[in-house]
Amino acid sequence: MTTVAPARTRGQVAEIRRAAERAHLRRRLLWWALAYSVLIVAGVAAILPFLYVVSLSLKHTESLIEYPPRWIPIPPYYGNYAAIIHHDLFLRWFLNTLIVASSVTVIKLVIDPMAGYAFAKMDFPFKESLFMLSLSMLMIPLAATLIPMYLLVRGLGFQNTYPGLILPGLAAPMGIFLLRTFMEQLPKDLENAARLDGASEPYIFARIILPLCKPALVTLAIFTFLTQWVAFVWPLVIAPDPNMFLLTTGLSSFKAQYRVDWGLVAAGMVLVLLPTAVAFVLFMRQFIAGSLAGALKQ
Amino acid sequence: MATAMRLSRAEHERLARGFRWRRYLLAYLFIAPSMFFLLLVLLIPSLWVVYLSFHKGGILEPVRFVGLANWQTIFKDRVALLAIRNTLLYMLMAIPTVFAIGLGLALLLKRIILGNTFFKAVLYFPTLTPYVMAALIWTFIIHPEFGVLNVLLRLSGFNPLNWLSPDLALVTIAMLEVWRGVGFWTLLFLAALISLPEELYQAAKVDGASSVSQFWHITLPLLRPTFAFAVVMATIWNFQVFDSIIILTDGGPNYSTASVAWYVYKQTFTFSNVGVGAAMSVLMLLAILVLTLVQLRLLRRRW
Repeated sequence: MTTVAPARTRGQVAEIRRAAERAHLRRRLLWWALAYSVLIVAGVAAILPFLYVVSLSLKHTESLIEYPPRWIPIPPYYGNYAAIIHHDLFLRWFLNTLIVASSVTVIKLVIDPMAGYAFAKMDFPFKESLFMLSLSMLMIPLAATLIPMYLLVRGLGFQNTYPGLILPGLAAPMGIFLLRTFMEQLPKDLENAARLDGASEPYIFARIILPLCKPALVTLAIFTFLTQWVAFVWPLVIAPDPNMFLLTTGLSSFKAQYRVDWGLVAAGMVLVLLPTAVAFVLFMRQFIAGSLAGALKQ
Repeated sequence: MATAMRLSRAEHERLARGFRWRRYLLAYLFIAPSMFFLLLVLLIPSLWVVYLSFHKGGILEPVRFVGLANWQTIFKDRVALLAIRNTLLYMLMAIPTVFAIGLGLALLLKRIILGNTFFKAVLYFPTLTPYVMAALIWTFIIHPEFGVLNVLLRLSGFNPLNWLSPDLALVTIAMLEVWRGVGFWTLLFLAALISLPEELYQAAKVDGASSVSQFWHITLPLLRPTFAFAVVMATIWNFQVFDSIIILTDGGPNYSTASVAWYVYKQTFTFSNVGVGAAMSVLMLLAILVLTLVQLRLLRRRW
C-alpha cells in the first residue's frame, strides 16, 4: 500500500498561505520603515543647514551664543535684514551681480544658439575638429587658467570693470552642446520646406529653429544666470575694489572682518540664496535633467 | 530656347563652388563669436600658462626666462608638497564616502514610490548651492559656539569639537563636499540603476537569489562603467577644491588644508610668484588632461 501524504483540507492550505503572506508583509513593512527612516535622516541632513542659517538670520548676533539654543526664534528679530538692506554697499553688490549675470546670460543666449545651429545644421570644413576642440575645453578648470586670464584682462585695462567680470562667463562651451543636441533632434521637415521656398540660413535659424528651441533656451538661461549669480573665484581676483564686489565676494568679505556680525552674514546669505531656491522650486525638472545632462554629456 | 539657359560644365562648377564657399563663410560667421571667446578665455590662457611656468615675474616685474626653476621650487617647497598630499587625501576621504552614501540612497529611492520626487528634490537642493555659498553655510554649521554640529554634540552629552583644528580641518572640508555632493551622485546612480535590465533581476529571483546577492552579482558589476565614469568626474572636480578652503580655513591651520588650487592662488596673488603658481597650474592641467583621456577611453568602450 502506498502511503499518501495526508491531504490538507482547504482550510489548512489557506492558513499556511495567510501565514506566509503575513511574514512577507512584515518583512516588507520593516523594509519600508527602514528605507523611509534612512531617507528622512538624509533629507533632514540635506536641508537642516539651510533652515539653521534662516533661523540664525532672525536672531540678534548677541543672542546667537545662548545655550540651549532657540531653534525657532520667536519673536523673530528682523534687525539683521534691515541692517543688510541699509548697508552702504549691499545694494550696490546686488546691482553688480544682477548686471554681470544678466549680461552673460543675454550674450550667451545669442551666441550659443548660433554656434549650436552651425554645428547641428550646417556643413563646413573642420566642423568635427572644431567641435571636438570646444568639447575638450569643457574640462579646462578656471584654476588652471586663472593667472593668464588675470594678466590678459588686466592688460586690457578691465580690472574692476563689468567687462572684466563678464568675460570668462562667455566661454563656457556647455550651451553650444546643449543647443546642438537639441537642434539635431528637431524634425527636418520644416526647415527643408523653408529651404525649398528659398529661405536663407539666417532666416531658417531665426524664424524656424530658434522658436522651437525654447525649452533648451530656458534651461540655458537659468543655468547661465545662476552660475554667474554665485561666481566667486574670478570676481575675487579681478575686482578687489569693494565697489565692484559681487554678492559672493561681498559676503565673504564680511567674514574676513575682525569682529564678524554673524546675524548680518546670515541675513545676507538668505537673500542671496532666495532666488536660487525660488528658481529651483519653479524649474526643478530642468535643473535635475540639465545638471545630469551636463555630467553625462557625450 | 532651352539652350540659352543651359550652363557649361565649367560655369556650373564655378557657381557651385561659389555657392559652397558662401555657405561655409556663413557657417563660420555663426560659430565665430563663440569660438572667439573660447580661444580668448580658455585655449590661449591654457597655452600661456605653460609659457609662464618657465618664466619669472609678470605682475610686478617684467617677464624673465628662468628655465626649470619654478618646477624645482614646487617639487622642493614643503607647502607645495603638502598641498598635493592634502588634495589627494581630501579626495580619498570625500569621494568614496559620497559614492557609498549616494549609491545607498539611490538603491532606496529606486524601490519607493511614495515621496520619490520629494526626496529627490530635497537631497538635490544642496548640490544646487554653489561651493562658495555652501562654504559660507558651513561656517554656521561648524562654528565653535553656535554651530549646529557642536550644539547637537552638547545636547547629546558630548564635548564640543574644534572642527577647524589641524587634525580635523581637512575632514571638515571633505564633509562639506559630501554634504553638497550626495544629491548629485544619488541622482546619477539612480538614473543608472533605473536603466539596468529588469529581466536579470527576475531571472535571479526565479533562481532564488537573495537581495544581497542580487546586489553583489548583478547590480555592482553592471554599474561598473557608471562608477568608472563617476570616479573620473569626481576626481576632476575635487582636484580643484578651492572655495571651501579659502572661505573656511585659508589653507590653515599650519597648512593642514593647503590644496593645489589654493597654492596657485596664494603664490600668484599673495606672493606675486606668478611662475611658481603657473607651474602648479600646469601640473593641474596635466593631471586633468590625463584623467580626461582616461574618461574618453571609458566612454568609448561599449556599456
